Amino acid sequence: MSRLHVLAAAAVLAVLGAAGMIFLYAPEDALQGPVQRIFYVHVSSAIAAYLCFALVVAGSATYLWRGSLRADRLARAATYTGLAFTTNTLVMGIIWAKPIWNWDPSRTWDARFTATVVLWMVYAGYLLVRRFAAPGRTAMRLAAVVGIVGFVDVPVVHFSVQWWRTLHPGPVLDARGGPALPPEMLLTFAVTMAAILFLAGVLIAIRYRVELVQEQRAELAPATLELATR
Amino acid sequence: MAVTWAVARKDLRAEWRGREMLPALAQFVVLALVIANFAFDVDLTSGPRLGPGILWLVLVFAGLVAFGRAFAPEREQGSLEAMLLTPAGPAAIFAGKALAAALLLMAVEAVLLPGMAVFLGAPIGLQVVLAVLVATVGMAGLGCLFSALAAQTRARDLLLPVLALPLWIPFVVVGGRTVQAAMGGALVPGQPLVVLAALDILFVIVAALAARVVLDE
Repeated sequence: MSRLHVLAAAAVLAVLGAAGMIFLYAPEDALQGPVQRIFYVHVSSAIAAYLCFALVVAGSATYLWRGSLRADRLARAATYTGLAFTTNTLVMGIIWAKPIWNWDPSRTWDARFTATVVLWMVYAGYLLVRRFAAPGRTAMRLAAVVGIVGFVDVPVVHFSVQWWRTLHPGPVLDARGGPALPPEMLLTFAVTMAAILFLAGVLIAIRYRVELVQEQRAELAPATLELATR
Repeated sequence: MAVTWAVARKDLRAEWRGREMLPALAQFVVLALVIANFAFDVDLTSGPRLGPGILWLVLVFAGLVAFGRAFAPEREQGSLEAMLLTPAGPAAIFAGKALAAALLLMAVEAVLLPGMAVFLGAPIGLQVVLAVLVATVGMAGLGCLFSALAAQTRARDLLLPVLALPLWIPFVVVGGRTVQAAMGGALVPGQPLVVLAALDILFVIVAALAARVVLDE
């Protein structure tokens, strides 16, 4: 059992604990019914995704500034994790919006949804650049540009769509006059948020390790080929 | 600044003498309008309603083709390296390429907008022209940045749309809204054009900063 195994097991337990609180402890929403329980995971995943992409920007900027291979590897790991959490946020949001907004993409187009889809596209593009550029410094440099420029675009998309037509609920947690949630819901949210952020951290650590091992394998490949043909 | 003009003049002169891109793009735009005409079964009542959407779809795809070719000839002849070896800054060279590509796309718009009026019966006023021209500047900055980036990878033609389209969405949103209002007969106040110009400034600066990293090999 390596340290990553222990951390991964702890993350699974934390998420299971959060799930228990979401379904057993938190009270049912009076207006929305059981669907509201999506909120806990949806919002935490969104925050985790934003933090992951902030990490991509920090890693990319550090790489461009210092040429640090670690910073680039961290950016790569955070991209994969961020994409996973963005997907989670979108899927949860659509499931929630189906009964609440009577989801229909042609009529219920929303600023936050659009900005999130664009976020997903930008960082999927980041991975494509990695795949199609010559491996090594070229891929790192080009991907770093996409990682940074793409992050600039997301708030712009959000605000440009916002004064069009928008449905997404406003802030619940930092609403004026304190969080607009009963204490049981607030506690459930805090636990879920902590569990999801812990999970995100562990996923980044695992992906970082995978990327490191892949790099080492790529370095060893010519040597093993030589051994095999000897 | 002098470098920017020189690079832009060089590109435009090459286009003028070779006449490759402009006829092809003009033909592409007209074909796209003909296809839209049949695909949407446009008549006089639906023309103005569908017009803005068709305009931006065609413009975006024409832009992808125009900007995609911006760095391809330099790649094929290895002349980009030669330009970068001169004392001229990479940002100025990039700005020149982007300027030439933007002017090329504006020439295509001179075919597209009258074409809209002919094939779709869409009313083309001063505001529609202004919105399209202002949006072209920012789209050219971002498009050329990703064109230069994609030119350094194996999948040039595939990567440019994937990278550029998400970043063009603000232009399509704001520009589409402006054109929609203008074609609907509503008088558009200056504000959307100011927003488009602000987007231009933001993305041209971002592209120029990033171009130094992209072109630096």
